[in-house]
Amino acid sequence: MEDTQIMQQRKTTIGVFAFGDVPAIVLKVIAAHISGYLKIDAEIMPSVTHPYYALDRHRLQYDCGLILQTMNANRFDGYEKVIGVLTVDLFVPILTYVYGEARQGGKIALVSTYRMRNNPHSKSELSSRVYERTAKVALHEIGHLFNMLHCEDEKCLMHFSGNLSTLDKTPLYFCRYCTVYFRDALKRR
Amino acid sequence: MAEKLRILIVDDEMIVRESFLHWFKKDGHTVATAASGFEALEKIEKFPYEILFVDIKMPGMDGLELLKKIKAGYPDTIVIIITAYGSIESAVHAMKMGASDYLLKPFKPEQLSLVLEKIKQQKKLASEYNYMKECLEKITRFDDIIGQSEPMKKIFKLIPEVARSDASVLLTGETGTGKELIAKAIHAKSSRAHLPFIAINCGAVPDSLLESELFGHQKGAFTGATYLTRGFFEVVSGGTLFLDEIGEISAKMQIDLLRVLEEKQITRLGSREPIKVDFRLISATRRNLAAAIAGESFREDFFYRINVIHIPVPPLRAHKDDIPLLIDHFLNKYSQEMSKRVDRISVEAMQLLKQYHWPGNIRELENAIERAVVLSRSRTLRTSDFAFLKLALTPTSGSQALRDMEVSHILKVLDENDWNITRSSAVLGINRVTLHKKIKRLGLQKPSP
Repeated sequence: MEDTQIMQQRKTTIGVFAFGDVPAIVLKVIAAHISGYLKIDAEIMPSVTHPYYALDRHRLQYDCGLILQTMNANRFDGYEKVIGVLTVDLFVPILTYVYGEARQGGKIALVSTYRMRNNPHSKSELSSRVYERTAKVALHEIGHLFNMLHCEDEKCLMHFSGNLSTLDKTPLYFCRYCTVYFRDALKRR
Repeated sequence: MAEKLRILIVDDEMIVRESFLHWFKKDGHTVATAASGFEALEKIEKFPYEILFVDIKMPGMDGLELLKKIKAGYPDTIVIIITAYGSIESAVHAMKMGASDYLLKPFKPEQLSLVLEKIKQQKKLASEYNYMKECLEKITRFDDIIGQSEPMKKIFKLIPEVARSDASVLLTGETGTGKELIAKAIHAKSSRAHLPFIAINCGAVPDSLLESELFGHQKGAFTGATYLTRGFFEVVSGGTLFLDEIGEISAKMQIDLLRVLEEKQITRLGSREPIKVDFRLISATRRNLAAAIAGESFREDFFYRINVIHIPVPPLRAHKDDIPLLIDHFLNKYSQEMSKRVDRISVEAMQLLKQYHWPGNIRELENAIERAVVLSRSRTLRTSDFAFLKLALTPTSGSQALRDMEVSHILKVLDENDWNITRSSAVLGINRVTLHKKIKRLGLQKPSP
């Protein structure tokens, strides 16, 4: 596999960590998806404290911009990119909610399990489905960290999903063009 | 590939600006921010933003005031009003003032995507509408090119091959041979088919005007430039640009076009900001460009740039086998267009049309058929319907003066139409009064029965 060869030439590792109390299984599923679908090594890192500072008291949601700004102070040595996992509701000021957030070409991405259920407080939805959705958002945000843009193709991981039905239809892999782009992005590092 | 837009975010809250910036960057758009209306006006003057997201409530100049100024100076720019107050009244007011849409902050991610999609559609329609409006008379038909002769078959084979590549094409051939139809066929078969096809006749537009037409101009670039105008290079956005009579453009224009072709970017008149452009160029000429190069009226480097693929289009006299087919097509077309049942042509008339040398090529043939269909009073076109062509077939002595030719031609037409002035003047293409005057001046007399 060409992808594996690239990996062998230059070791890339993505770190997965929790903000506060996040079920370990979620982190494991995300790490497994990163290794399985992106062919990049993924490691689970020690968790960090819950981002109380980012809670917006009017919206009762957590501001992604503030969390990313705060986390940027860390160096995360040994990891090329890192992804932080939360269980709370995330937002950016212009949007009512986001499933995850990453800056184009940045180092840190965020993903939340909060809206991965049709009803955030429901217990009836299959956990496996919730885990897969979270992992899908994580892979999408990692794409942005490697400078990938949203893709028009509905059958591409980089297609933008604004609701769960679109997210469920989005595959876990890139389209032909994004595959090439991702491979190039890895080579360019 | 999705269309990338030039977006300016105007909001006094930094966090909102940043939020928009990061969001749109993920879609690959060119995004900038401005903290106030004044800053926005400064920025839009320097760079041609297509879409502005403007917060309605800002200190200094508020969103509505900015909207008014933008619509006055840059009417093509799309403005979306953002409001956190949910005041429908101010949103309605903004829409009345020319805002394209409004967003109530915060909005769902889908809403933002929907708004952008709407804008893209709106832009596409506006671009098409403006183009259609300006060039209505230029747009003729997208009919298929007709021909079964060997020279035409060769061209038909070439069109899909050429359409696949993005290389510049040069069509050479006499006037009226169908160069524009071939250019349209190449466009229609290319991957740019869903994007605009813009045809400009370089010979018909004065040089100074051509520059402004192609490159666009900033407001105030010259006297009378009251608005910012986008040039054809921008309007064509991803489509095909067809420059007819490329041999007629000035040396300066050749240099300017060469630069655009090499750098794929333009600068509007009166501006210094380069704008990236994407188009496929098809040029056409009836001139012999090799001779023009030798005579130093045409630049050799420009010639090689536009002449990556050369398609010589044969004159009609070189593929006369196609004449019956073309006649059939034009008969169908014009009898339908005029709701007149003229669907046959006599053997003699066909023979006459085959003999004629057609200096004006297919266009002349089409005009001849159209004219004959208009005037014909029967279902079948006869030689008398093509009287205006007969003169060209009649051998004339070289010494004949213009006056003599006029006399003999008018007499011939009058005789063929039994000296009916209305019919004869229609055949001659002049009005009745002029014909009467000519008859009197030339001393023509109706032969006694």
